[in-house]
Amino acid sequence: MKIKKAKTTILLEIICYVVLGVSALACVLPFIIIISGSLTDNATILKEGYSILPKNITLDAYLTIFKAPQDILQAYKMTLFYTIVGTAVGLLMITLTAYVLSRKAFKYRNEVSFIIYFTSIFGGGTIPWYLMYTNVLNLKGTTFVMWFPGLMSPFLVILMRTFIANSVPDAITEAATIDGAGHVDIFARIVMPVLKPGLATVGLFLALGYWNDWYRSSMFATSSKTWELQYYLYDLLNATTALKQLSQYTSIASVDLPTQSVKLAMAVVVTGPILLVYPFVQRYFVSGITVGAVKG
Amino acid sequence: MSKMMGGLSRRDFMKGMMVGGVAAGSAGLLSACGSRQTVSENLSASEETLEESASVSTSESTQKETAAESTHELDTSEQVNLIFYVMGDAPADEVVVEEALNEILLERLNATIDFQFSSWTDWTSKYNLTLTSCGADLIYVANWMDYGTFANSGAFAELDEMLDTVAPTLRDTVGEYYLDMMRVGGKIYGIPSTWSEYTCPGVRYREDLRQAYDLPVPDSLENIEAYLLGVQENMPDQVLMTAGSLDGFQISFAAASVFNIKYPWVTVNGLPYGLGADYDSPSEVYDYWFSDDFVEDMKLMKKWADLGFWSRSSLSEANNSDAFADGLNVLEVEGLNPSKYVSSVTTFAEDHPDWSAAYIAYGEVTGVMYAGHATQNATAVVHGTANEERALAVLELLMTDEEVNRLVQYGIEGVHYEIDGDGYYQGLSDNFTYEAFNTWNLRNADYRLYGESDDLLNELFAKYEEIGNQTKFPNVDIYSGFTEDYSSYSAERSAVANVMGQYLVPLQAGLVDDVEAAVTEFREKITEAGIETCRKGFQEQWNAYCEEYGYL
Repeated sequence: MKIKKAKTTILLEIICYVVLGVSALACVLPFIIIISGSLTDNATILKEGYSILPKNITLDAYLTIFKAPQDILQAYKMTLFYTIVGTAVGLLMITLTAYVLSRKAFKYRNEVSFIIYFTSIFGGGTIPWYLMYTNVLNLKGTTFVMWFPGLMSPFLVILMRTFIANSVPDAITEAATIDGAGHVDIFARIVMPVLKPGLATVGLFLALGYWNDWYRSSMFATSSKTWELQYYLYDLLNATTALKQLSQYTSIASVDLPTQSVKLAMAVVVTGPILLVYPFVQRYFVSGITVGAVKG
Repeated sequence: MSKMMGGLSRRDFMKGMMVGGVAAGSAGLLSACGSRQTVSENLSASEETLEESASVSTSESTQKETAAESTHELDTSEQVNLIFYVMGDAPADEVVVEEALNEILLERLNATIDFQFSSWTDWTSKYNLTLTSCGADLIYVANWMDYGTFANSGAFAELDEMLDTVAPTLRDTVGEYYLDMMRVGGKIYGIPSTWSEYTCPGVRYREDLRQAYDLPVPDSLENIEAYLLGVQENMPDQVLMTAGSLDGFQISFAAASVFNIKYPWVTVNGLPYGLGADYDSPSEVYDYWFSDDFVEDMKLMKKWADLGFWSRSSLSEANNSDAFADGLNVLEVEGLNPSKYVSSVTTFAEDHPDWSAAYIAYGEVTGVMYAGHATQNATAVVHGTANEERALAVLELLMTDEEVNRLVQYGIEGVHYEIDGDGYYQGLSDNFTYEAFNTWNLRNADYRLYGESDDLLNELFAKYEEIGNQTKFPNVDIYSGFTEDYSSYSAERSAVANVMGQYLVPLQAGLVDDVEAAVTEFREKITEAGIETCRKGFQEQWNAYCEEYGYL
């Protein structure tokens, strides 16, 4: 038997659906316009502007990108490398740190926690940060400096710590200790197996951070061989505007600047892969973020 | 999920913003990079015997013979690796050309050079950081990159003495006239390109349409209007002008640049904050925004907007630099210079042989014309590095040796370019195109290679030079040599920028109903924002500048 809904409930549902529908549309529309623009002939974009459905469909923009793909492939390769290495090493370091901080047996955990917290509010600023990496550590231009600075963030350590503290009660680890397990055993065989949602959450944060980063390339790269994919894209756009402004001051040789549709096609090529990751980790992600946040 | 992404990217964005803010203020910190190393270098240089350097000097180029006596020998016993920081992106054959270059540099000066490219993303903060960390030995400088401010804060080495001792040939080649323009507080901090060019803005229009419909040459406000109306009448669907809003403190809407034809101070580097000054009396600054002229001009803009010269949605349109080349407009008044005009002539010849472009520089009408200021393209030696003198010597070689200069500008002859029978530059490779290192600052007028289209450019330049020579300050761009230090009124300045964006843009775009009321409102708001403070601060500095250089 169907339970008849009250009028107010129906009204509420309508409002919810409309609001959610409109916001969902607002999220999806720009992306559709990007895809449709990337398939549109460039002259049409200039004359008639962007549209939701592509007019004068052409694959020219994609062909242009993949005609000389070595640059974009190189950037792809580097970003994949940074993302995989950075996420793997970062996850390990964050989880280990979080585990230690979550153990009540660790005498200085408040002090250490404070030191980690502190950096999330106060930092040295860009100039010392830059000077440290370039002049003291001499890492400018290396691939190491592209992923190393992004390994840990206080936010993720705290998220992970709370998650471990909540999902692994002290009683369990105590029992394991009585059975003769050391910290390595406890971490590897008791904590890790229940951490899946936490790992997925933190891992996705890290992976997204690495995938979307352009700033480290901007600061430290000395050759376009080490560029991250986002930076490659971003720089292409910036070069167009900069050269346009610059050409007011001095005569410069004409450069082949990317057309509107090529820019959009590049955006599609660059965002595609990371979108595919979402469906696989979303399940863990939602539970992970709520567990970590609410009881924090 | 999208919320998550939003959160992440926003944090990154904030980080970027903070960086920008911090870096902008870093000029003051520059001395941190310090001259410690220089002192020790000089000491060790003087301690070492002259024997070693004597043996090197024989291999040094014949260039130096002229000034051999008065110079102290440059110690080149130790090999140094120098970094030359330039703008933009690296060419594919960067390493190939660098190797060829280094072969020569090693032999002559026992030095190697590595070009490092800023790339255009976030370049202001990176430029600051490079100077702060002494991350380069030679660096590209320009007035639009705050050459004056950086020089004042001690980022660059003083070159006056060094030029005599290390690089007398360079001094002779560039000449005191241009070096004097580089002076900040009386000292030379940069070596300009020796190729002077005219970047005079003007009106670019479609000559074929003008002839087809028998319209007047658009060389005055009335004639521009008549030309546009004529095109509109004959081609009702044709977009006439594409114009968008502009940043900066001179003009807020592109179409308003047209007043350059009336007032010579309406220019990229002209006076900001609604001030004006005649070229013949630069220190007599007068008020434009509060004058009757301003109201009349804004009325004209409204008239043009109502006639449909530009779209009512122009403000939201992205600037499209290809619009003219694609026939999407028939008249442009902003952001142009002779070389852009020449390139449109070339594009038309290739893509639309039945179209033709023409150009009228505003200076041809107003009689105020000048070559680009020396500070537009120059090189500085970064202060505080270990090899200041060697860097200057390398710069001398790069600029004054024909072979080296062509190598750095155009690549390897026969591989990247060739000189054809008529003496023109012909590119051979996409891996190293014309001036692919973006070293516009190393241009040497004597060794520069021209393409065929440059003939037209040189013709124009000759014409402009004649006009320029008749002005009160012959061929000097008095506006561009000035650098404003707005640190003491930066709050008022950003408030003024906001008001300009909100009230001046619609006014200049003719999108207001009642011009007089809108002008009154604009004047009220801009006064509230603190325009007087900005003007006062600017004027003090401007008057001091005019006095220093004798622009009275």
